[in-house]
Amino acid sequence: MKTLDKPWVLIAEREITTKLRDKTFIGSTLVMLLIVMVAVILPAILAGKGGADKIGVIDDAGQKVVQTASATAGGDGYEATRFADRPAAEKAVTDGKVKAALLPDADGYVVLGKDRVDSGVEGALREAAAAVGMEANAGKAGLSPAELHAGTKVSLQLLKPGPLPDIVSDFVNIGLALVFYMTALGFGMMIAQSVVQEKESRVVEILAAAVPIRSLLWGKVLGNTVLALSQIVVIAGASLIGLLATDQADILEVVAPVAGWFVVFFVLGFVALAGLWAVAGSLATRQEDLGSTTLPGQMILMIPFFFSVFAGSSAKTVASFVPIASSMSMPGRMLTEDVPVWQPLAAIALLLVATVLIVRVGARLYERTLLQTGRRLGYREALALESK
Amino acid sequence: MLRVAGLTRRFGDHLALDDVTFDVVPGRMTGFVGANGAGKTTTMRIILGVLAATAGEVRWQDKPLTGAVRRDFGYMPEERGLYPKMKIRDQLVFFGRLHGLAPERAGTRTDKILGRLGLAERASDVLETLSLGNQQRVQIAAALVHEPIALVLDEPFSGLDPLAVDAMVDLLREEVTPEVPVLFSSHQLDLVERLCDDLVVLSRGKVVAAGAVSELAAGSTSTYRLVVDGDAGWLRDVRGIQVRDVAGGTALFDVLDDAVEQKILSEAISRGPVLEFGPERVALSDVFREATR
Repeated sequence: MKTLDKPWVLIAEREITTKLRDKTFIGSTLVMLLIVMVAVILPAILAGKGGADKIGVIDDAGQKVVQTASATAGGDGYEATRFADRPAAEKAVTDGKVKAALLPDADGYVVLGKDRVDSGVEGALREAAAAVGMEANAGKAGLSPAELHAGTKVSLQLLKPGPLPDIVSDFVNIGLALVFYMTALGFGMMIAQSVVQEKESRVVEILAAAVPIRSLLWGKVLGNTVLALSQIVVIAGASLIGLLATDQADILEVVAPVAGWFVVFFVLGFVALAGLWAVAGSLATRQEDLGSTTLPGQMILMIPFFFSVFAGSSAKTVASFVPIASSMSMPGRMLTEDVPVWQPLAAIALLLVATVLIVRVGARLYERTLLQTGRRLGYREALALESK
Repeated sequence: MLRVAGLTRRFGDHLALDDVTFDVVPGRMTGFVGANGAGKTTTMRIILGVLAATAGEVRWQDKPLTGAVRRDFGYMPEERGLYPKMKIRDQLVFFGRLHGLAPERAGTRTDKILGRLGLAERASDVLETLSLGNQQRVQIAAALVHEPIALVLDEPFSGLDPLAVDAMVDLLREEVTPEVPVLFSSHQLDLVERLCDDLVVLSRGKVVAAGAVSELAAGSTSTYRLVVDGDAGWLRDVRGIQVRDVAGGTALFDVLDDAVEQKILSEAISRGPVLEFGPERVALSDVFREATR
């Protein structure tokens, strides 16, 4: 017997190789890659990371202040550049060779800038000059620096610390929801199109005669899930390289533990939707029908997306348990809040149940409607159809 | 042997197939004819498992036909269709593998059939760039690529010019080994008469005639035709026959008693030159018209 054991593997393979040869698919992936790279690298460049600000000085005292400011800022914030005299320093400031110059003044220092001085630079220099000056004054009065600073230290304590700053949190939440939304929508439409193409070209009759219709569905879902995940891995890889190249690797420590959860939520949510998109394709008879048959799928994606982006935090918590919506909001919550581990587990359990249900109903609808090439069907009508 | 046993199919209130039973014998081409809407395509789709039967079953080698066996069948559906944007070689290899061929075998089979159809140099062209006739050839190649154990072809020659039909028939004759039963439907009765060994005639969902083409055509009549060089009027006085028509030297008569036609032949020879004598063969279209009336 020369029968193929796993026809869905072959179907998946065809689905993947067809997409990989599709110029539009490759093009859009490259554009996404470019956008992600720019998004990762650009802020780092704008923030001026990867190099200390140069501050012009003309004496040892000035140099010491700059060093103190740099030490306070974490080691590599500022770098003193020595000039012979005041005019030389002024020229360097005018030419933009240094960000600012710290020059001795009658009663302390003056910070010299061109048209403006960054408030961060000014503040750091002011604080450092005060500290250096006070330590010197204290020495004259017989106090050690330690005695001088005793009881003046202020430290920060948060009652409910989040892993990331607020602004970053918002971006991460929206970003993760967006990744799922875009991928599920993009690949969803591709699945629906690929199904309706087979109906439109009538090749479906040969396929259905050769392999069980369910195999066709599984093959499509499998192939597109693999493609979608690979696309995300490629993009994640690109942003990883971007982060490493721009010295932002510390973000990874926060992201890495959630990455595994994200994959689980992604795959389950994606598969559930893929089943639905395939049905949207099999209800249609022509490409033009897809607009109406894919509407429920688009709604199922769009509503939770806007919810997870704009809703308040308690509503978000609820959404992170609702299947499909959870794929968009739970990974983000885990990144930005302390979420007890039972919550993602419960959300996954719910999502798993929903996925199995959706895929089973989807498979049944798919089997009943795939060979109906006469006209477009509605979902309710399809549910009422007898098999074959 | 492929056997269709008591197939019945309803679409709502409409009875599309009513207890359809016939055999498709290996090594013989079975023609499947009937008016539009007689149920030919429905029967074929049920054989291929694309449609379910309301009652009855399809049997293969005296057992109910299973999906695994059916996967080795070759099928050319009435509504043609392949992947329009896929290269034809890739496409045929895909279908070969879908039917269970190993990748290398699917490759060699594809190359062989494409060569046979004169499409070897178009192998890496996208299907939709081919002419309709060539697309049809690729379609039949898709049904043959996996060395099917049975073939079901729904109107395989419609839309082809006579040369293309001949090329396709040659390919079928070459590819179809004596173990393979072939069922094909057609509206072109002359083609069916030329190609088929057996015939099944369907009318309004019922089998109205089935059997060997030679029997159906010849056996349905006992009418003889005699043409002599002279007048054939003497036939009117012969016993055991019923004269249908005499016009000069040409006569048409029905034989009522056994072997009486032989006596008539000797009689005719003794009277003068005989130009023509034989059973009046009925054209298949007459059988068809008679059966589906």
